[in-house]
Amino acid sequence: MTIRRRLTLWYAGILILSLLVMGIGTYQEISEQLRHSHRKEPSQHALDETGEMIFQVGLPAVVLGLLGGWWLTRRALAPVSKLTDTVEKIHEKNLGEKIPRTNNGDELDRLTEVFNGMTARLDNSFQRVREFTLHASHELKTPLTVLCGETETALQNESLSPADRERLLSQLDEMRRLSKIVDGLTLLAKADAGQIALKPEPLRLDELVRDNFADAQILAEPHGIKVELEICEEISVRGDRHRLRQLLLNLADNAIKYNQPQGRVTMGLRRVDNFAEFKIANNGAGIPAEILPRVFGRFFRGDPAHENIIEGCGLGLSIAQWIVSAHNGTIQIESAPAEITIVTVRLPLDKIASKPV
Amino acid sequence: MRVLVVEDERKTASFVRKALQAESFAVDVVANGADALTAAASTPFDAIVLDIMLPGRDGLSVLRQLRERKNSTPVLLLSARGEVNERVEGLNAGADDYLPKPFELAELVARVRALTRRGGENKSIVLSVADLKLDTVTHKARRNGTEIELTAREYRLLEFLMRSAGRLCGRMMILEKVWDYDFDPGTNLVDVYVRRLREKIDADFEPKLLHTVRGSGYVLKETP
Repeated sequence: MTIRRRLTLWYAGILILSLLVMGIGTYQEISEQLRHSHRKEPSQHALDETGEMIFQVGLPAVVLGLLGGWWLTRRALAPVSKLTDTVEKIHEKNLGEKIPRTNNGDELDRLTEVFNGMTARLDNSFQRVREFTLHASHELKTPLTVLCGETETALQNESLSPADRERLLSQLDEMRRLSKIVDGLTLLAKADAGQIALKPEPLRLDELVRDNFADAQILAEPHGIKVELEICEEISVRGDRHRLRQLLLNLADNAIKYNQPQGRVTMGLRRVDNFAEFKIANNGAGIPAEILPRVFGRFFRGDPAHENIIEGCGLGLSIAQWIVSAHNGTIQIESAPAEITIVTVRLPLDKIASKPV
Repeated sequence: MRVLVVEDERKTASFVRKALQAESFAVDVVANGADALTAAASTPFDAIVLDIMLPGRDGLSVLRQLRERKNSTPVLLLSARGEVNERVEGLNAGADDYLPKPFELAELVARVRALTRRGGENKSIVLSVADLKLDTVTHKARRNGTEIELTAREYRLLEFLMRSAGRLCGRMMILEKVWDYDFDPGTNLVDVYVRRLREKIDADFEPKLLHTVRGSGYVLKETP
């Protein structure tokens, strides 16, 4: 029950009670006076009339009182509702925005002030985390460059024993893996800080999907996985070509990596309402329902047992999610373990290109 | 061939110098933008490797200044920021190539080599390495008279490798030129395609032409 309703009810109760007391008091007073003036038993008729009179005056008074109370509480609590609406719109990205204050010095104004202070502190710490990630990923690049470079230089040495060469090459592989993680981290940290500007242009999404399909077939071939393109409708979107290609390749690569040998990957692009819908499905081991909501998380890996078998930086789906949301689209993943896993991406259609000619 | 390396990080500068020297380039190293401009003004270089993050004047401003002075030496930009916008910004400022850090040394050397050979690239209509021939008009490949079927992507890969025959082609370079990817897709796409291409052009023939340089990339040439 809202505070407003509760207050109105209390108010109505008090009103009725006070009217009752008033009514009974008046009734007794009047009947006393009647008894005095007639010096005998008051007529029942006069008393009835008095009761009726109290009732007739009392009822409108109660109704008026109720309406008044309802209006009063509404007025008193309106700033609270307004505050609630504003607070509801706050999320991690707009913490910096302030809630407008009334400056009339009341309790709610004070609450707003305190609230603004809290979001400012939160904004500050979010900012610091973002900056930290950005700086950390940036600072890692120079030592990584040096490490990679010196290892490669060492490999130039012709007199290396095969065992040493193998060791250095394996180290180099790990450094490259680390480089990929750092790259992914930099990308996401920059995306968080709003430092990556997409270059949107009108694009034929179906062409990108066909291109990606060709690459996916090749990537899947060594694993004996069959890739199919079920449907590919001609669809235009406005987007950043490179980022969308990265998204498609990323999803295709995942569908292949997390598949079983001799598995199947199917993809399709179709128009659904005002969206271009790209679906990619694989019949690999799938993702248990309890971890499904976390797959877009950074460095999340579904199956610890897989960790060493499957190469990757653990940031692929986070990057995919960022690319989709930067295009005002949505990405969803559904999975029936041991049966099928489907990733669905929806991107808004290009308004100009999709107009009927 | 003389290359100017502008890099303030001592160790990076040192192994870049060694790697380029190993490829018989003469290498000059400077650690800041002002010295780079002085060096470029007094010595004709065949290529400049320019780090963007420099103390004082940054690499992009050095590059703009160079181009303003009508110095058209090919420039390879290096950057630890490695983002798309920066790449475009660099190329707009007059850079010829861009390599994000951390880079692979072999990749860097391959790119410098490509820069110093600019214009000297094989531009003929029919490319050939040993008995492998590629017609860039009809997109047909032949080896020892046998016609080889290529998909569109395989054709572009082979064309790129043949145009840079004898030179190491790094994975990132191949991804850029053949796929037009400006990101590292984190897949072994290049390796898988090269394997397929090798099956088509090398499996039934001798000598083998498409060689892997482990950890670095690929090279198409007659002798290993």
